[in-house]
Amino acid sequence: MSNEPIISLGNVTKRIGRTTIIDNLTFDVPQGEIFGFLGPNGAGKTTTIRMIVGLMSITEGQILIKGKNIKTEFEEAIRHIGAIVESPEMYKYLSGYQNLVHYARMVPGVSKERIDEVVSLVKLENRIHDKVKKYSLGMRQRLGVAQALLHRPSLLILDEPTNGLDPAGIRELRDYLRYLTRKEGITVVVSSHLLSEMELMCDRVAILQRGKLVDVMPIQDLTGGSDQAQTYLIQAHPLEQAFVAIRNMDGVQGVMLAQEGTVEVKTERECIPDILTGLMQNHIRIYGVQMVSKSLEDRFLEITEGGQIG
Amino acid sequence: MVNLVLNENMKIYRRVRTWILVGLMVAFVLFVNIIEWHSGGKKAQGEGWRTELHQENQQWSKVLKQRELNKEERTYYEQRIALNDYHLKQDIRSTDGTMWDGVYGSANLMIVITIFTIIIVGDSVASEFSSGTIKLLLIRPASRIKVLASKYISVMLFGMLLLLTLFIVSFVGNGILYGFGYMDLPLINMTADGQIVERNMVLNLWKTYMLNGVSTVMYVTLAFMISSAFRSSAMAIGFSVGALFAGNLVMQALQRFDWSKYLLFANTDLAQYLNGHPFQEGMTLSFSIGVLVVYFFVFNLISWLIFTRRDVAA
Repeated sequence: MSNEPIISLGNVTKRIGRTTIIDNLTFDVPQGEIFGFLGPNGAGKTTTIRMIVGLMSITEGQILIKGKNIKTEFEEAIRHIGAIVESPEMYKYLSGYQNLVHYARMVPGVSKERIDEVVSLVKLENRIHDKVKKYSLGMRQRLGVAQALLHRPSLLILDEPTNGLDPAGIRELRDYLRYLTRKEGITVVVSSHLLSEMELMCDRVAILQRGKLVDVMPIQDLTGGSDQAQTYLIQAHPLEQAFVAIRNMDGVQGVMLAQEGTVEVKTERECIPDILTGLMQNHIRIYGVQMVSKSLEDRFLEITEGGQIG
Repeated sequence: MVNLVLNENMKIYRRVRTWILVGLMVAFVLFVNIIEWHSGGKKAQGEGWRTELHQENQQWSKVLKQRELNKEERTYYEQRIALNDYHLKQDIRSTDGTMWDGVYGSANLMIVITIFTIIIVGDSVASEFSSGTIKLLLIRPASRIKVLASKYISVMLFGMLLLLTLFIVSFVGNGILYGFGYMDLPLINMTADGQIVERNMVLNLWKTYMLNGVSTVMYVTLAFMISSAFRSSAMAIGFSVGALFAGNLVMQALQRFDWSKYLLFANTDLAQYLNGHPFQEGMTLSFSIGVLVVYFFVFNLISWLIFTRRDVAA
């Protein structure tokens, strides 16, 4: 796999009237990743995706898909993309199969066999000749995935793919995306406002806020790195002695009494054994130590409100 | 491009709605023709046509003796008499009481074709937006102009289908009502300079169809433009059908203004040049064709500009 980024945004700006919707976005998406767009509602995720797939015009800057400009070389660029933009709306009066035939006709080189292959991939064989209006939301979603994969795209773009799906449907989609990146080497770009979803799906995320790029980072950095101070809950007895002892130890950045029988300690991971040894030397009984991983929501708010992450 | 048209055709003909329209078309043609046949057409059958033509000529001769006729009316009746005389002299029966009478009368139902085609065209772009399918449609390696053109072509093909339905149903229907006789009966017609000519019935019928079809194409193109500009099928259908019916009324009110001859509605009816009564003095067939061509390109240009530039945000 080459190192050429599959998507490359250069100073992309979108203005509608005087309002700047997207402000000077620049980043690359490398091949073979599941890449997420994260941001609160109105941050510009959907607008960015629509510019990438050519549904919206780009006011300034350029977007390259495998080196092809989406604006000036639309047909060459879009060929590599399969997409579901928000919920996959199909022609309800046509059958699932007819819908796929419809999209297959629009791309050169999609055979009947490929349609059947995609249908079995999304496990719709039994209902593919039913009219789409009889489909459940989950089935429509699967048909949406099928139409996106029909022409063997190297890039799959999903805008809010989990909207309206039940937990089972979300899980199914997630497993499926993993499968696609591993087995078929497809790059996936998803957008969502659901952090927990992104955490489970993505390798890297771009965080958008009010049309600006806040940061691009691996998802682990967002969920909490190992070298940073974390919060631990230590269940000890007697509590007051433990509190005083911990407060005087090295490497402790903060300590407070938490719920019944526990002390909340803010420190780095490497200091934990020393703290515990110190407590035992003071004959304090320890019943449990628990790391409190900061919730993703907290981290996210920290990033989007406090600017750069520390 | 062929594939895109196939797609659009699939979206038209896989809908029940479309076949209801085609069914209505058949029903209309049969209904009108049966009424027509019942209320008079069947009496004129047989060899009674000679007596009828003689009676007509006598009646018109009487009318011609009146003083107050103006020159135009006078020529009209004189020509009618000349045509009848030609029929009698050459022993070619008039179309009265033959299937041709019904078939030609059915050509007036072209307006139904216009309305039904407007219904389909008004929905073709707008419904893609309202159902959200436009998003999946435009992210394929087919440029927007091709998508738009394929929709236009498929709708025009639908209009052709309705026209073919009209032709076949009126032909077969009237054939059954009046009998399939007088197949090679020529159409006796008078040219603009007063020459009597014999024409082929079917060829002349299609000429009439095509002439009326010009107005269908114009209204459908108008509806197509509204559909792609405002993405509202109700607006496209409502405005175009409204224009179709109100157009003549509006034009009557505007007739005294010289500029009104440049309006679309003053030119859609090309048959006005066959009857010899153009909307305004000095208008010619080539003038109208010129105006229509300009409108045609402007409508399509607007559809194209709006459709290809628009952000798909909904």
